[in-house]
Amino acid sequence: MSYKRSRAAYEADLAAQQSSYVVFGTPLPPLDPDVRDDGSYVPLWKQEVRDERGRKRFHGAFTGGWSAGYFNTVGSKEGWTPSSFVSSRTHRRKDDPNAVPQRPEDFMDEEDLADLEESRRVQTRDAFSGLGSTADDAARRHGLMGLFRAEGDTMGTRLLKKMGWKEGQGVGPKVRRQARLHLRADGGDSAETYLFAPDNVPMITFVRKTDHKGLGYVGETRLAPLGRSAKAGNDGDNNDDDDDDSDPDGTGPGLGRPRFTLSSGRTNDRPRKKGGIGVGVLNDTGSDDEDPYEMGPRISYNRVIGGDKKKKKKAATAANPALKTQPAFMPSKKAALAKISLGLRKCHDGRLPLDGFVFGREPDALTAEVNAPGKYPPPEIPPGWVSAKQAQPQAGKAAGSYVSAADAAKASTLDPRARAAILGEKQLPGKSVFDFMTPEARARLAAVTGRQDLPPARGEVPAEHALSEADRAQQLLSRVPKLDKETAVAAISRGAGGNAPYRDDDAKRARYIAFLEYQAGFRPSPGPQPPKMNADEWLRELHEFYSCARIFKPMTGFMASRFTTSSASTAGGSGSGSGSSNETGGGRDIVSKPASKPEDPAEEAAKLGMFGPMTRSVTIFHPVRLLCKRMGVAPPEHATAEDAAGSGRPAKPEAAWPQFEPAREARASGGNGHDAPSQQQQDLPDVGALSSSTSAGVGLATAKLAGGTPAPEAPGIDTSRNPALEGKRAGEEVFKAIFGDSDDDDE
Amino acid sequence: MAQQPSARFPFRPVAQLLGSNGPVHALAYSASPGTYILTGSSDRSIRLYNPSSTAPAPVAASNTITSARGPSVSTTPLPAGKLIQTYTSHAHEVLSLAVAPSNATFASAGGDRAVLLWDVATATTLRRFGASSTAHSHAGRVNAVCFAGAGGGDDLVVSGGLDGTVRVWDARSSHPKPVQVLAEARDAVAALAVGLPGSAADAEILAGSVDGRLRAYDVRAGRCVADAFPASVTSVCLARDGRTVLVGTLDSKARLMDRKDGTCLRAYEAGPRRNEELRVQCVLGGGERFVVAGDEMTGDEEQEPGAAGGAGGGGDNQGRLWAWDLLTGKVVAQVPVPWGSGSEARRKVVGRDGKPKERKNVVSCLAWKDGGFGDQFCAGGTSGVVTVFGH
Repeated sequence: MSYKRSRAAYEADLAAQQSSYVVFGTPLPPLDPDVRDDGSYVPLWKQEVRDERGRKRFHGAFTGGWSAGYFNTVGSKEGWTPSSFVSSRTHRRKDDPNAVPQRPEDFMDEEDLADLEESRRVQTRDAFSGLGSTADDAARRHGLMGLFRAEGDTMGTRLLKKMGWKEGQGVGPKVRRQARLHLRADGGDSAETYLFAPDNVPMITFVRKTDHKGLGYVGETRLAPLGRSAKAGNDGDNNDDDDDDSDPDGTGPGLGRPRFTLSSGRTNDRPRKKGGIGVGVLNDTGSDDEDPYEMGPRISYNRVIGGDKKKKKKAATAANPALKTQPAFMPSKKAALAKISLGLRKCHDGRLPLDGFVFGREPDALTAEVNAPGKYPPPEIPPGWVSAKQAQPQAGKAAGSYVSAADAAKASTLDPRARAAILGEKQLPGKSVFDFMTPEARARLAAVTGRQDLPPARGEVPAEHALSEADRAQQLLSRVPKLDKETAVAAISRGAGGNAPYRDDDAKRARYIAFLEYQAGFRPSPGPQPPKMNADEWLRELHEFYSCARIFKPMTGFMASRFTTSSASTAGGSGSGSGSSNETGGGRDIVSKPASKPEDPAEEAAKLGMFGPMTRSVTIFHPVRLLCKRMGVAPPEHATAEDAAGSGRPAKPEAAWPQFEPAREARASGGNGHDAPSQQQQDLPDVGALSSSTSAGVGLATAKLAGGTPAPEAPGIDTSRNPALEGKRAGEEVFKAIFGDSDDDDE
Repeated sequence: MAQQPSARFPFRPVAQLLGSNGPVHALAYSASPGTYILTGSSDRSIRLYNPSSTAPAPVAASNTITSARGPSVSTTPLPAGKLIQTYTSHAHEVLSLAVAPSNATFASAGGDRAVLLWDVATATTLRRFGASSTAHSHAGRVNAVCFAGAGGGDDLVVSGGLDGTVRVWDARSSHPKPVQVLAEARDAVAALAVGLPGSAADAEILAGSVDGRLRAYDVRAGRCVADAFPASVTSVCLARDGRTVLVGTLDSKARLMDRKDGTCLRAYEAGPRRNEELRVQCVLGGGERFVVAGDEMTGDEEQEPGAAGGAGGGGDNQGRLWAWDLLTGKVVAQVPVPWGSGSEARRKVVGRDGKPKERKNVVSCLAWKDGGFGDQFCAGGTSGVVTVFGH
């Protein structure tokens, strides 16, 4: 329920909000004593500058200060507000259907937007840029009239084409005539006639006469409206063509493009003058028709005696060029008679052409001359000549009912065998493809086609491709990898010691041995193929044998001359300078077998399950004496003193390189006690003897130095020195023996 | 299959050791009587249990028994072993434990690169090896620790770690440096073993490394014998006589190697067992008649339904143990290891993709009482509950 307020209450409310009774204009602010009238003066310090969006633009030191930059430019104190991060892994932003596409305007501030607005200019398109412009004259040839004239195919042409008319034909019912297959005009000896489309009739164009000159007179070149200058040029060309035409009625041969103009006989036989500026005597073209001295106004008068004076035509309004297309020529009887009087051609029946019709000229004067009947006749076909391309006897019949190759193939009742018989091919023995398929191939085929009624696969091999058993074995053996003989022999000799692989499978081991013997050349074949394996499995096993035996490949070349196996070194005794075996005294047999390649053979052997000597490698490590003591064992001879290298030293494969540390050995043994020289001699091979005396002396010296402070567990060692670095270099022979004599030239 | 040895295999769970708040990485029985069990857990603490003084629950009513053949019964939860002491000083998970022969001290090592020597009774650390300087300590986490010394003593502590070194520490002197650093390994050292005095492996330190080598450092002879294996070595267990060593590698096999010439005496594998990623221990046990090894796979992944049996059976990713006969190499028992009570929270884990996943109870650590000659053994792993198996 609404209640009606009293008028006084309504007015009071209204006045509190706005001025009442305002019909036009802006109402004054309400009559509120607290609100100032907008028009009133506001002191400067109260005035605020705001932009068009109502934002404060100027910030004083007390009203924003430097943060004004944020508010003026960015819009928030935090700067540009980044769009919330969306992980592009799962949520591709480009795939988001409701993603707002970003425009360049989004990133523009007011200045940029203003620049953008400024850069936009409203301008008319070229077609509207003034009718007087000549810039695009060629495109605007027809001006506004192009709107009314059809370009290209007219509707009539299109209709004609739909009705079956083709370009180059004439319009009208078909004409029954002889076929013009012969070059000769009179070659039509066959009386057969056919229906042909009528010949095309050349279009007749009319040139509109818009000047006051006499017919055929073309004066000097005048400034013509540009829209029509091309047309005038065409006319000029036409006139030039006909310039030399002495025969005005065109019976004689004329060079040049034929023009079929009704008025060509009269109007176009004068060349137009090319002079542009003025016409004088010198501009004479030599034509007798023009009097260079003629004066007076250019009035047209009849030059033809007997012809009546042409009526003055109304000057056509150039503004309506469509009138051009209107044929303005009104033939009259007299004109036709004039033509007759000028000796025009007659038709072949001796009659004049119909009114308004002219004879067509030959299409091309030159070809017309060439093609003139009887002038250059084609060679006569010799009598009795028969073409080599004789049609087949059946062709006449087949031509009547054409059958495509596919239809003929369908209609054929021949099967491949019959066709092969026709072609004379050698017949395959009565077998199908399936007889030569393997069962797997047939199963594949059946799976693909889904047909289960395929004939059974027999897997036969054609007789000419079949291999004998021996050939097949030979082929298989050719795929067995070749092991060189030395490796095979080495593998056999290793296996003889009971270390052969495949100890768990005697049959496989026997095959392995047979394979090695075959590779070593002791037997002609690697044994028969095991009955349980097919050829592929057997070949795979032979490959496995190959990779297994390859481990035993003996060392060659450089490496073989530098290293020997441990058994050989212990047997060979000492003394060889180039030998690398570790000669340890005391009868302790330290087996050292440095592998040529430390990792790979051992790991390969381990993968093959050949645990044993193949996977084992022994190196020397130097236990610290304290370790030996704590372990409760006597230290080995090569044990290092504790703290020799700080926190112990990693063991090295010392067996091969004992010569590198004569100083260290001397130090250790020298610190050990009085038997240093003898042990020195024992420990070191003779190649290290060069440095033994000096290093032993150093060792003794340090032992004396350290003698003041007896160290029960640690021999006296000067830890501030590194004897390995400061000791004398090993003898040259050592390096030479190991690294070869590459530094001969230096010495 | 051989029913007779499987009857003697102690596959019956007799107790549970609870209290760990994470997977158990290391187990150790106390020396010779083997009364107590030490567990090292990923919750950074070491716990000392007495598995025999359990709550008065009927031991006969055991949980799940499955021999190599038979499924069987399950009933009430197992009695819990008594927790005696907790040792907390590690800053990261405890990865290895070793008890001194005197039972007075034990050593522990873990992910904080520290090797600690503990006093058992007072639960204090006696030594913190290599703590003085990082130049002396391990550079990565320490995977294995064991005691060594003259006459089977505890004079030395040997530790091997991720940095590929084996460090020998002197437990008697307070020297901060290790006695020796053995740095031949080209990858992390995963397992260590020290030969018992008087055995063929006397004064030898065996270090199994991830580079697929088992290196035996013979201190007496001063030589290092490296045996290659086709995969990373994760577990080393010396026989008492020191002539053979059981080596577990990451090709799901355990091999008994002849130490003298390095040949493989027997390889132990079982069809569904898999050990290709984790450090899963294998030990000799039952008077060295059996080879016992953990398994990465759980029974439920491959077993046909029903074979796991029992109430705790299908679908809870129970762990699994395998036992072989040492001589014949045949599987004598396949023992399911239950999750145990109180480990429900650890069964589910939040994977890296943020989805909760069911966790497998990987049985990674084993210990046999009395050095393989006692009558019980214990197994621990992901569940954090150590199950004690006995007769």
